[in-house]
Amino acid sequence: MGSYLYRLYRGFQGEILAVPGRVIALIFVTLLFLLPHIIPHPLVLKIFSLAALFAIFAASWDFLSGFTGQLNLGHALFFGVSAYSAALLNVHLGVPPWATIPIGAIAGVIAGLLVGIPALRLRGFYLALVTLAFPIILIGVIFVFPDITGGELGLFGVDRLSGSRVLDYYIILLVATASILVMWKLTDGRSKIVRTGVILHAIREDEITARASGINTVRYKLMVFSISGFFAGVAGGLYAHYIRIAGPSILELFFSFQPIIWTIFGGIVTIYGAVAGVFILYPLVELVRLHPVGEIYRIVLMVLILIVVLLFMPQGITRWVRDHIEEICPRCKLINIRTRRYCRACRAPLRAEK
Amino acid sequence: MAAPFLEVENLCKHFGELRAVDGASFHVGQDEMVGLIGPNGAGKTTLMRLITGILKPTSGTVRFKGEDITGQDTAKIVNKGIAPTFQVVKPFRHLPVGANVMVSCLCPRAKRRGDWVKTVELRARDALEFCGIADLALEPASVVSHGDLKRLEVARAIATEPELLLLDEPFGGLSPAETELMGKFLRRLHRGGRFGRLHSEGPAMVIVEHKLSDLMKIVDRVIVLSFGQIIVEGTPDEVVRNKEVIEAYIGKEVSSLVS
Ligand SMILES: Nc1ncnc2c1ncn2[C@@H]1O[C@H](COP(=O)(O)OP(=O)(O)O)[C@@H](O)[C@H]1O
Ligand SMILES: [Mg+2]
Repeated sequence: MGSYLYRLYRGFQGEILAVPGRVIALIFVTLLFLLPHIIPHPLVLKIFSLAALFAIFAASWDFLSGFTGQLNLGHALFFGVSAYSAALLNVHLGVPPWATIPIGAIAGVIAGLLVGIPALRLRGFYLALVTLAFPIILIGVIFVFPDITGGELGLFGVDRLSGSRVLDYYIILLVATASILVMWKLTDGRSKIVRTGVILHAIREDEITARASGINTVRYKLMVFSISGFFAGVAGGLYAHYIRIAGPSILELFFSFQPIIWTIFGGIVTIYGAVAGVFILYPLVELVRLHPVGEIYRIVLMVLILIVVLLFMPQGITRWVRDHIEEICPRCKLINIRTRRYCRACRAPLRAEK
Repeated sequence: MAAPFLEVENLCKHFGELRAVDGASFHVGQDEMVGLIGPNGAGKTTLMRLITGILKPTSGTVRFKGEDITGQDTAKIVNKGIAPTFQVVKPFRHLPVGANVMVSCLCPRAKRRGDWVKTVELRARDALEFCGIADLALEPASVVSHGDLKRLEVARAIATEPELLLLDEPFGGLSPAETELMGKFLRRLHRGGRFGRLHSEGPAMVIVEHKLSDLMKIVDRVIVLSFGQIIVEGTPDEVVRNKEVIEAYIGKEVSSLVS
């Protein structure tokens, strides 16, 4: 027993404590879980609840567009389909949130496949145009049936997630942590548990070589579309129950561009970059919105921040930070903290001696 | 009579007016090592790509172990046991060399037929060791030299546990010493023994090559392609003395043919 615990501790030390990026992530998640006790202000709680939910949304965009290189400009479709499914079921049929959110996520999967199948044939620019059109078509459908869908005003009176805002926050945070961990694991090329990561990286790098290696790329692409749709759907369902309304604004262009801006800001093809992007950018923009002028210039501000960041950190903020605190051992490729001169495992010098 | 191993019948591929492959018919036996030669632009690469389904033929059939595989999806064909390599190396550049091979080890065929005692990492390492590049396993493919990338191509292909290897210019861009090493290595691979399964026959091979003298040393039979058509087929000795072949090459390679 004692030796088992000791091994667990050593594993924790080697996998997390020795890697600065993961230490930061651990501290950050711990702080998020303590947030209602540190700052019990309702507005702060609301901003961070929505940030956690949007983190799922942004990560699911990165999972799809970052990892397969298929630019999806209409990611709001998955979010919106799920939010509306959840709201419709809840308002008209009284289905409780614990059922509507999974059903919404499944609606997201179906939407994902619906977009994914044409995506197998279309490339680049054409695919981007088609994905752009899907949410707009859905808005049209919603406006045709205003009695059921609420039309332009949206569907009101959706049930709350739970009785209290603090509990809501914890539910969203737990779901977000789990969802993001799953997506991160699925895309981790070094993982020895799930092997999809290395295959996804391979398909992005060279699809023909991947096929020549016997990988059924069509199946993997559809899988990515449906998983991305699933998690965007989870976010959409949570959103409908959190703000208690499903309106057409969540299908608008701006809503599709948000995850793209967040992800590029944080660092694309990383998953954690998308999450970091949301947690930095979203609260910032919301604070600016409190000022009456900020409300109008919200988009301008987001784009300005993005441009400035990309000028100085073209790979996104998380990669920039990692480059400044981490060093990969040239021999064994293990991640070391930058202050070390020799690798923690193989003792090779990390930098050429001066 | 058992159906031939690989049977190509009247295969055509037209790019508009250009007939890149024009009615090619040949077969490859289960334990054969066949060379495919021909002048530049003869359609050798195109022919290879037609067999593996990377290009769809205009007409004609390809049969593998009696089964019609014409124009099927590449991944499906690879999982039936035909593994291609590319003339222009196409590794996954940002992945480590080991991960490049691991992708092949993760295809359904390799999972089914690979050494079940071993983890995917170990199987990938086996293929790398067999090709002599195990020491590069952790390096990203983008920093590896051209000669090693050629070997990586072969390692990636054999990791799918193929019964037939289609090698497109495996000696392309290699130094004489590297070429000799690669030639010996392909011969050893063909003889079989240990790769993948404990008891292995070694894959049959079709090798497209420009360096004729090196190719002639290792293959059992040679097929000569010119303007998309097969003009001669025979043992290396027969082909070297054949007048049509010498004409097709307009003498430029004849010195190397005879030597
Ligand atoms: N995708 C393509 N589209 C048009 N023409 C092609 C294509 N691929 C090859 N060709 C043409 O087909 C002919 C045969 O090419 P290839 O098979 O690469 O010859 P080899 O490998 O024998 O040198 C060449 O004339 C080449 O220009
Ligand atoms: Mg060629």
